[in-house]
Amino acid sequence: MHWPHRYSSLWHMIAAPIVWAIHFCTVYGWTAAVCARADAPGAARFGTGLATLVALAAIAWLGWHAWLQWDYRPHDPRLHDVPTTEARREFLGHAAWLLAGVSAIGVIFVALPAIFIESCL
Amino acid sequence: MTADSRLDAPPLSTADLDDRQPGGVWPPTPAMLAEPTDPHLAAAQAERLNAAWALPRGWRYITAVNNAEVGKWYALAAFGFMLAAGVLALLIRVQLAVPDNDFLSADRFNQFFTMHGSAMMFLFAVPMFEAISILLLPAFLGTRDMPFPRLSAYGFWCFLIGGFFVLGSLLFDAAPSSGWFMYPPLAIEAEGVGSDIWLLGLSFIEVASIAAAVELIVGVIKCRPPGMRINLMPLYAWYVLVVGGMILFAFPPLIAGDFLFELQRSMDWPFFDPERGGDPLLWQHLFWIFGHPEVYIIFLPSIAIAAMVVPTAAGRPIVGYSWIVLSAVGTGFLSFGLWVHHMFTTGLPSLSLGFFSAASQAVVIPTGVQIFAFIATLMVGRVRVILPTLWIAGAVAVFTAGGLTGVMVALAPFDWQVHDTYFIVAHLHYTLFGGMIFPVIGGIYYFYPFITKKKMSERLGRWSFWLTFAGFNICFLPMHLTGLLGMPRRVWTYPGDLGWDWLNLISTVGAFVLASGILIFAWDLIRPKRHQPLTERNPWNAGTLEWAHEVPGQAWSPRSIPYITSRYPLWDQDRIVQRMDAGRFYLPDAPEGHRETIVTSAVDAIPQVAARVTGPAWCTLVAAAFTGGAFILPTFKMYVPAVLCGIFAIASVIWWLWTATARIPEREMRDVGLSLRLPTYVSGSKAPGWWAVFVTMLGDATAFASLVFGVFFYWTARPDFPPPGMPHADPGLTAAAAALLAATWGATRIARSVHRAGRVRAARALLAAAPLMSLAGAAALVGAVWLPGLEPSSHVYPAMMWALVIWTTAHVLCGTIMLAYCLARSLAGRMLPRFDADLWNTTLFWHFLGVTCVVTAAMIGLVPRVM
Amino acid sequence: MRAALPFAALAFLAGCDGRQSVLSPAGRDAEVLATLFWWMLGGAVVLWLMVNGLMLYASRLRPRRHPKHLAEWIIFGGGVAFPTIVLAGLLTYALVQMPQQRAPGQGLTLRVTGESWWWRVEYWPDGATEPVVAANEVRLPAGSRSEIALAANGVIHSFWIPALGGKTDMIPGRDTRMSLEPVASGEYRGQCAEFCGASHAQMAMAAVVMEPENFQAWLQQQAEPAAEPATDEARRGRGVFLAEGCGGCHTVRGTPARGRVGPDLTHLASRVTLAAGVLPMERQALRDWIRDPDAIKPGARMPGYDHLSDADLRALAVYLEGLE
Repeated sequence: MHWPHRYSSLWHMIAAPIVWAIHFCTVYGWTAAVCARADAPGAARFGTGLATLVALAAIAWLGWHAWLQWDYRPHDPRLHDVPTTEARREFLGHAAWLLAGVSAIGVIFVALPAIFIESCL
Repeated sequence: MTADSRLDAPPLSTADLDDRQPGGVWPPTPAMLAEPTDPHLAAAQAERLNAAWALPRGWRYITAVNNAEVGKWYALAAFGFMLAAGVLALLIRVQLAVPDNDFLSADRFNQFFTMHGSAMMFLFAVPMFEAISILLLPAFLGTRDMPFPRLSAYGFWCFLIGGFFVLGSLLFDAAPSSGWFMYPPLAIEAEGVGSDIWLLGLSFIEVASIAAAVELIVGVIKCRPPGMRINLMPLYAWYVLVVGGMILFAFPPLIAGDFLFELQRSMDWPFFDPERGGDPLLWQHLFWIFGHPEVYIIFLPSIAIAAMVVPTAAGRPIVGYSWIVLSAVGTGFLSFGLWVHHMFTTGLPSLSLGFFSAASQAVVIPTGVQIFAFIATLMVGRVRVILPTLWIAGAVAVFTAGGLTGVMVALAPFDWQVHDTYFIVAHLHYTLFGGMIFPVIGGIYYFYPFITKKKMSERLGRWSFWLTFAGFNICFLPMHLTGLLGMPRRVWTYPGDLGWDWLNLISTVGAFVLASGILIFAWDLIRPKRHQPLTERNPWNAGTLEWAHEVPGQAWSPRSIPYITSRYPLWDQDRIVQRMDAGRFYLPDAPEGHRETIVTSAVDAIPQVAARVTGPAWCTLVAAAFTGGAFILPTFKMYVPAVLCGIFAIASVIWWLWTATARIPEREMRDVGLSLRLPTYVSGSKAPGWWAVFVTMLGDATAFASLVFGVFFYWTARPDFPPPGMPHADPGLTAAAAALLAATWGATRIARSVHRAGRVRAARALLAAAPLMSLAGAAALVGAVWLPGLEPSSHVYPAMMWALVIWTTAHVLCGTIMLAYCLARSLAGRMLPRFDADLWNTTLFWHFLGVTCVVTAAMIGLVPRVM
Repeated sequence: MRAALPFAALAFLAGCDGRQSVLSPAGRDAEVLATLFWWMLGGAVVLWLMVNGLMLYASRLRPRRHPKHLAEWIIFGGGVAFPTIVLAGLLTYALVQMPQQRAPGQGLTLRVTGESWWWRVEYWPDGATEPVVAANEVRLPAGSRSEIALAANGVIHSFWIPALGGKTDMIPGRDTRMSLEPVASGEYRGQCAEFCGASHAQMAMAAVVMEPENFQAWLQQQAEPAAEPATDEARRGRGVFLAEGCGGCHTVRGTPARGRVGPDLTHLASRVTLAAGVLPMERQALRDWIRDPDAIKPGARMPGYDHLSDADLRALAVYLEGLE
């Protein structure tokens, strides 16, 4: 399989947590502005939901690519500790995949308040 | 040839390529590695190498910049400050031992608890990470030194001066007394110089911390040994990378906050004064955007030490390397989403609190992965109980308790009860002792034979551990209950009828037991060990490169820089230590007597350059002293001497750069051993210096972003921002400033290209015009807020506009100096089309600065009119 | 909840006086949070024992090689799966609680302003056009949720009565709010929880929860002007009070004293404590306080009156003692 050069990049590995960070800032900033300026909890919650869907879609996409890059084989688990480009690339894929998982959990957690809290109080 | 192996092995036949590309053989073959070296040649090489890396003797010893020396000084200074802050804690505990005590006055108590927190955080915890990393990271990576040794030395001297200044204020009864968090308005209204000492002294130290972070990040990315791909890095290096990145994004908001705070203290600009549109909460945001990641900045490096010790104790590689990387990176990110959990009681909307509560819970996951990865490694391995593991086990016991109470306080409603009580005091000490003190002491027991080639006492170590562990729990476990019974933090005394008295007495007793444990450790650390024989070379039978260092230690660190193919080279790689000693690997020689290091590519560690590194110098000391003057003198309102100090500091830094950096090499290519030829000079993204500018400017951009955040914060927090009828910045001048500064940016970028193309005269013309345009731009920017009469002390809106302008103008002046420096280098013949690192770095600086200027123009010219 | 028992016993030993204790709740919110705490404590003890037991097992009890896939499952199970489920549950519970504990109050609104270092308290019953002013003591009717509006003058303080519920900061330039629903009448203690300077430790208050009818009666009595001095000595005390300029800072309704800088003293003697929860409401304490407030409350804004003769001081104390 041909892998473009960018799969050697560290930025690629941290893309999912960056999505988490953008989601977090968006949701926090949007809520702060809407609650302070308009006292409109509905808009705050809707915006949070929308941002969450977008973020989860992005993380799913990144996670899928990371999964491919990891090239997981259940009967041949590898430790990525050999000095080859494959090991390095699969390691970065594995780490990116795990980070996508944690980022997804993080995004879902951060979205929970919008489900349970109905006011700006 | 597939795409992969092209990355693996760049075509290295020199004949048909630019001779500044690496040439020769890469990677080395096993046969080449097995070839013996000529002992006579090796002896001559060793002599030259030793001469290049030798420490200065006599009183010139203080000009040393070798990482082993600077790291040791740094660690000892941080440890000394920790003992001082610990004494403050004991005095606090004595005062609180019994109700209605008058051992300390209220004011003195407040000074002591403020300094206890500030010193532990700023003078111990973060500097200790930097010290240990400077000391150990090059050894973990099998290299000789940090990429910028003089920068480490400069950072250390800044730290030492700042530390003595801040702590010394206690002796004059002039220490800050508003808490380590310095909340306005209290800290603004505080009389005396205490608050200024905190703001300026600690800003000074923060600058040193950022310098260290820059250096450590570049060290990990660019100075790994050949072959050590990113999946083979020791875990410590991963943590350094993450923590360095965190420092870059966490400290600058505090520096921006300090900047605003000091402007209010000295010039009465009302950033935090609600009467004039300000808001005290902005400080809390900026402080905790720093303050919470700070906790993880302290915790992660210590856990990284554990990650080096645990595999050794288990006698096998770590289980779940990728998982630990996930944990480090994940914690690094999530820790930035927690800051408001220090502000749960400030009355923010429940929705906002909910987001931070959720992120505070989510961060438990990577932290838990971390702990369970250690447990898994211990399970899979065959554990030898060595003294360091005792401390690590203690760390896990204490830290998990702190983590579990952390889960409790992350729930906003529960935090409403226990916030600012002794429950929190207990919680934070459990996390910091478990997450920092225990693993660091364990690490010191573990690495002591590496650092000094002697051993610490097993018996004293056990005594110290059990006293520290027991004392700690006697002191802090009852505090959970004290807090639940309603005792707030930071009270200098309390009544005896609320059930707090005997709990406090127990805590005080525990504190002294704890102190005795630490004291035994300190004695074991510094007691003379002259008569003790030297330790064996790898006393714990560890697998990582630091244990390849020779006994007795040599100034060159490793004799030659190894080619790495494993995460645990000493366990896995054939005769690696003998080959390192024999000079079989890279850079076994210093033919010109220069200090050199191998720079490798960021991900796959392919050798790129044999770069010179700097040696001993006075200029770092001088620069640190003048920088200190520039920060410290304004505390006492001595502005003219402070400005002079600032000018001298800049001059000494320029001298340092002029004489020691980007020097045109005698030979363009260098044979580094194993038939590999590397260029000796690069510019652009292959050069460590370029990376240092990039990393520094990321931090700088974060500080600027914090100021921009401030503008939007006021807009959401205050209905009258910007106040109706208040004058705005002059649109014409703002546009002119934006145009001039953007033109400077463009001219700089073009100068780099035409210079590279050999059109030196055109480049010089551009470099001469650019500073004039940038100065005119800066003047227009100042005029844009000055001429319409924005009065900064009247309201927070003009103050904020002025703050942005001052920030940007100061940077433009700095950029102007850099342009003039490039011009001077060119005129002096020190910068040639092929040796143009200075111009690359200046251009990179201007990329960031250009964006800053354009954003500033938009923030003062456009945004307020839209608001 | 066996794991929590030793701690509970400790709490019992320590908490004979639970006036300021999170663990002796007397309000709806505090009850919920105390229960939540005991559950979390139980869970935390179990988890702590499991993690550290596993560590001990792996390193000391059975320091032999375990299969690797088991170890990896431990990382995933212990580090990801288990915490995700447990934390999601806890978080959800807390998120549901949050709006309830911040629900708007019904009927009575208290406006409490943090001063250095005392509390200005105004009672605004439903529909009131002007408040009943008091200080350094908060009285609430049991059985209903009262709204508490918070403000600060000068520096940040934090309003906290642990037996009734959580705390909220009082921030200059911001209006913050909370609400409390006491369930059991009694006398509790609150204290400033945000560091506010030299006498942060001496900024407390009495919190008295009353049956609704008693509360109404008390509030009516508080709305009255001050009682006339009953004895000659008390009358002399009033003279001293006015002559010394105490009215520049303090209000005693029904007299020329109308200062707004310090606490309203109209019904001073009806309060449980003196000087914001620091001294008992007794004659000797009044005298000590007036003679040298700084000795009791470092940095106190009130000047000392040590130039007064013993007789004047005593008369002043007697007068104030009569302001019921």
